[in-house]
Amino acid sequence: MSIICALFIFLVRGCYHGDYIVNGQEFDAGQMVIMLSKITFHVIAVGVTFLAALLSMRIFGRERDDGTQSSILSKPITRRQYVAGKVLGLWVLLTIFMFVLHGIVFIITSINMRIVMPEYLMASLLCSFNLLFVVVTVLLLSLVMPDVAAFLCIMGIGFVGFVADGIFALSHNPIMAQAIMQQEGPQSDFTFWQVVYYLWPKLSGAQHYASSFIGREEFGELGSVYPLINIIVYCLILGALLFLRFRKEDIV
Amino acid sequence: MIELNAVTKRYGTLAAVDNVSFSIGAGEYFALLGPNGAGKTTIVRMLLDFTLPSSGSLSLNGFPSTNAASRAAVGYLAENHHIPPNLSGWQYLERCAELLDISPSGVPDQCRRIVGLIGMEGREHTKAETYSKGMIQRFGLGAALIGNPKLLILDEPTSGLDPIGIREIRLILESLKSQGMTIFLNSHLLSEVEKICDNAAIINQGKLLVKDTISSLVKDGDTLEDVFVRFVKG
Repeated sequence: MSIICALFIFLVRGCYHGDYIVNGQEFDAGQMVIMLSKITFHVIAVGVTFLAALLSMRIFGRERDDGTQSSILSKPITRRQYVAGKVLGLWVLLTIFMFVLHGIVFIITSINMRIVMPEYLMASLLCSFNLLFVVVTVLLLSLVMPDVAAFLCIMGIGFVGFVADGIFALSHNPIMAQAIMQQEGPQSDFTFWQVVYYLWPKLSGAQHYASSFIGREEFGELGSVYPLINIIVYCLILGALLFLRFRKEDIV
Repeated sequence: MIELNAVTKRYGTLAAVDNVSFSIGAGEYFALLGPNGAGKTTIVRMLLDFTLPSSGSLSLNGFPSTNAASRAAVGYLAENHHIPPNLSGWQYLERCAELLDISPSGVPDQCRRIVGLIGMEGREHTKAETYSKGMIQRFGLGAALIGNPKLLILDEPTSGLDPIGIREIRLILESLKSQGMTIFLNSHLLSEVEKICDNAAIINQGKLLVKDTISSLVKDGDTLEDVFVRFVKG
């Protein structure tokens, strides 16, 4: 996965050289860079999130199987320290990896197009909360189900959130909203599915919020901050559950 | 040093350990004997807080076993010890030392001393994937000895070893006797236990059958094996 991410950056670097002409008109290079940078931002973020799930799913299982877990916990180390070490170690490692990949795009943009986008790096750091969510969730799930099932669950959570965000965006499009209203008549303000939508882990929403910083004017429009808060709250809740669950875990 | 008070561990309706109480003093070489499935390893796992007792309490070095401080001066060797194959024995010992409060400058000296003690000079820098079972157990014992623990908990340390490997482990354990270390040994190998330990307890189906000195248990003309069979068979 890390090789694919690096390869993607290698391939995409050429896009920053060209002068784009659309329908015979020269395209604004600045707009092009922002659009392209957002695409690379999302591809890298999704790739590293996938990598986070892959790495997290075997952490406890592998250490249990090779005896490392019992070896570490037979020393004066608390379970809380052990779990915190795993979570923070993996999170920091993945954040650095994603930051380096985003940093390469930032450098390419700065050198080739003379456009400096410090917000690109800030967006990368904001997106790291998604990685923390994935690490904590997969570690927790891997304690109660097979590792592969834990991996598939987090992929499912991400996919459902992505599709739901798409449907939500579509339904809030003025034309679509009008069409729905005409077909179904007036609806209640808050439906069950809306509650589920807002409570669902908003991985893609948080990523969209982070990317809304890229290329915006000083007081330009930002995405809703709610998805990021949603993810941070989930990290806290699932982190607490992870510590509690691991306290009851039998060490083999 | 070790105290078990009415400890019971149940898995569903099965009592793996049933109301077991005993204590081990400082400097004792103690063996916990029993057939397979008697509850020996469960007791070790409860002592190290790997699993919680259903009832009763355990303490190590004066602390409840659930307190991480109870393991501050404890070395542990698991039955089937593993060393990550990509690490050398030296690197493995270094990693174990890093988990303890040993200053970084003191780690090489500590590792050198341990390598000498377990008789692995010359092989400490080769990868663990090239080690035999006996060598892995010796490095495992070495890892347990890092930080000069006062108490050593050994769960079947000679399991799967050939007679030479068994003898080597025994000689290392005997050499530690002069240092005043306390040893809690889980073993099947009664002849080895008889040679090393001062005290023993026999456990069967989770119940403690007897705890006494080896000399009191083994009467004239008997062996520890005879005593063991007599207690276990009833």
